[in-house]
Amino acid sequence: MRRLELPLLGLVLGLALPLLATSAHAQQGRLASDFEIAQMERQLERSSGFEAQLSGYLNLGDLRASRGERTLAHANYVKALTAAESERTASRRDSSITRYAIATSYAALAEAKLGRGAEAFQLLEESVRYMSGDAATWNLHASAMRLLSRPDKAGSAARNAVAIARLETDSVAQRLDLAVYQYALATALIENRQSGEAETLLVEVTGSLRSADFARLNREVVRQEAFEIYSSARGDVAAYVSLLNRTQLRLAGLYESRGEIAAAREQYERVLEARSDDVTALNALARLSASEADRSRHYAGAFEANPFSPTLVRDYKRWLEQSRLDPRSIEPSSTGARMRRALAQLAAGDRVAARDSLEALAISFPRNETLEELRREAESPAVATLPSDEPTTEELRDLLDAFAQMTPEQRVELDARTFTSKALFDPAGEIDASEARTLLASGAIDGLRFQFVQPTLFAGRFDTSTPLRLTYQILGVTRSGDRPALLLEPLRVEAIR
Amino acid sequence: MRRLFRVAAAVLLFAFAAGVDAARAVIAVTSHGVVVATAGSIRLEGGWNVEGVRNPTSIETSGNRVVVLDAIDDQAVVVDLDTGRTSRFATAATPVAAQFAGNDLYILARDANLVQRIGGANVAVAADPAFISASEGRVFVYSRTAGMLQEIEGDRIVRQMQLAPFASDLEIDGTTAYLAYPCDARIRMIDLSTMQPAGELAVGVVPVDIAFAGGGTAITARVLAIADPSAKRIWMVEGRQSLGKAVARGFVRGLLGLGLFNRSSQFPTGIDRVIVSGSLRVAYDSSSGTLYRFSPSGSTAIATAVGAGAFAVSEEQIVWWDGERIHTVE
Repeated sequence: MRRLELPLLGLVLGLALPLLATSAHAQQGRLASDFEIAQMERQLERSSGFEAQLSGYLNLGDLRASRGERTLAHANYVKALTAAESERTASRRDSSITRYAIATSYAALAEAKLGRGAEAFQLLEESVRYMSGDAATWNLHASAMRLLSRPDKAGSAARNAVAIARLETDSVAQRLDLAVYQYALATALIENRQSGEAETLLVEVTGSLRSADFARLNREVVRQEAFEIYSSARGDVAAYVSLLNRTQLRLAGLYESRGEIAAAREQYERVLEARSDDVTALNALARLSASEADRSRHYAGAFEANPFSPTLVRDYKRWLEQSRLDPRSIEPSSTGARMRRALAQLAAGDRVAARDSLEALAISFPRNETLEELRREAESPAVATLPSDEPTTEELRDLLDAFAQMTPEQRVELDARTFTSKALFDPAGEIDASEARTLLASGAIDGLRFQFVQPTLFAGRFDTSTPLRLTYQILGVTRSGDRPALLLEPLRVEAIR
Repeated sequence: MRRLFRVAAAVLLFAFAAGVDAARAVIAVTSHGVVVATAGSIRLEGGWNVEGVRNPTSIETSGNRVVVLDAIDDQAVVVDLDTGRTSRFATAATPVAAQFAGNDLYILARDANLVQRIGGANVAVAADPAFISASEGRVFVYSRTAGMLQEIEGDRIVRQMQLAPFASDLEIDGTTAYLAYPCDARIRMIDLSTMQPAGELAVGVVPVDIAFAGGGTAITARVLAIADPSAKRIWMVEGRQSLGKAVARGFVRGLLGLGLFNRSSQFPTGIDRVIVSGSLRVAYDSSSGTLYRFSPSGSTAIATAVGAGAFAVSEEQIVWWDGERIHTVE
């Protein structure tokens, strides 16, 4: 794997597969990113090498996240971390410090995708001790810092990557690497509200990618009919396709944020020239449409590509608030159409119909958390309020009911906070009694069910027949049997004295 | 549960069997005793306990002050060791290191390319400032990707020199700066009185960290201890020496860059940090968190799963924090 981690586009990637946006495919319930997921799963089956495993798990995590499947995404990031940690151990044992530093960078990236900032930072610092002259190392540093919402640190790291990569640009591969790092720098600059320099960089990158410098690579893209978009790209062709897609989207987003609608639309349409069902571009074109007919058409296309994109769902709901669209005008002929219809039912206040529509969709997509959140919204019209640090049961119930109504600002605040409650755990399986470790996975806080993202091993022997003090972060909402439950990341368990 | 305070990290420890508990703690031996900074707290063993930073990433002490940095949240807390009184500062991006120089405190904000003098002005430095050190009242900053060594006086840069980029450590002894270059397997020396190169040493495979290990008298050359995780050794090397000293010792190998004593200490794992204080010599393997005590004749592991900043060495003792309590070896 060439170390070309491409910063994500916000929370959601524009991942879609050309030619799948046909009614035939849609009726089969296939999503646009199914192809990439299948590719990555095949890669994981066929290759046991570190780079293949790592990129497979990272890409699968990103693809799952883009479909609102956060639990599956989390599980893949954990696997990526496991692979990176194994490689760290092996390379250190083999005295291969370069391998060790690379694996350490990837462990940091996986930690960042898991939202563990301090662990990620520590690993990044460790990696850069050995390879501060390596542009790819700095690029991973930038990606991790950006994931952790530290654009100033991401910008500094990306600037180092660009400065180092500029020293050697003889080959196409080196120029492609430089373009990746320039894109990462531009991304960080935009988030730091330094859009002037960002625009210059993005224009330079798109111009470069379309120049004669990359003509041979471009021909290879056409010959291979390559279209897949990955955040951890392997090989020049995959990197080129992904980078061109992302750079155009980023530039378009920049123009859109400035109100330069024509320029933005031109870039989004360029994206669709290469990939007709890019959900980010379609969603944006819907936002920017001058006519309601165009808007409906683009939204329909976007929902066929990825019906569970949280960004798309959010934007569509905003539009529905103004448009007062009659849900009956949407024929539920595909997964995307069924989603649009359910959202229109919600917007129209027909919660019973919305609940039925969403429950029908959940049968086909049982692990989709976008659907889960919408179902909760259909069940409760509550306004979200964040709980206190030691929340009452009522506060947690309110949050559970209104999780889908949280504003982006509330979600950021929730991610940053920790909570403490008395929890009664489900009976534990104690492992390795001599070392006194206890495996805990789920339980209840005063009757309110919770579940950890994964079973977690705690040092110490705990009596689960009595409440324990649990310190945790709240990740989302899941189901425990037929009941809604909080999805938690445990930070600490203590006996109550 | 007191035995484990970062559960998720413990899971990974179990799963990988080779990780280091990421529970953040930094520790320092001060004139008043051992100071430990953990998430949200700074405390003097047997003394005060005050509010700290969320992610303690480094600690520095001098006289009756200690400063704890949070390079993630861009915070610094200075504590008066006598009273426990704190002063809190929001720093520029990514404060990775601090340096006391007389009454001044300098903080290196890496991702802002700044040195911040507390109570004074900010000094813009070259890209990627990674190391700050003081000697004889002067403050020096090495910027890693720029390959620039700059001397700061008050609030301004008074001298600078371009040198090789990408060093992994800077140590200063009197008028000589030593920089480790892991990718080149070199230790490069700079004469700080002239700001000119003063030679280089080829050392090991991946020399990454430097400590001073004696010598440096009128008739002995400075001895450097250099951690090399690839060779799994601490190399003991003669540092820079003047012509007069070299002649007095009857040879000039130090001037010729042939300073190897041909002495080293071997370790079972790849050590990448070395600290020497008085007669105590400690090496550390960041990948496993193993802390070793070593001598020319061998090495002994004294602790495992120790965090990278969670140990310190003084002339009298080695101390480390295991997430629950302080351990001491004298």
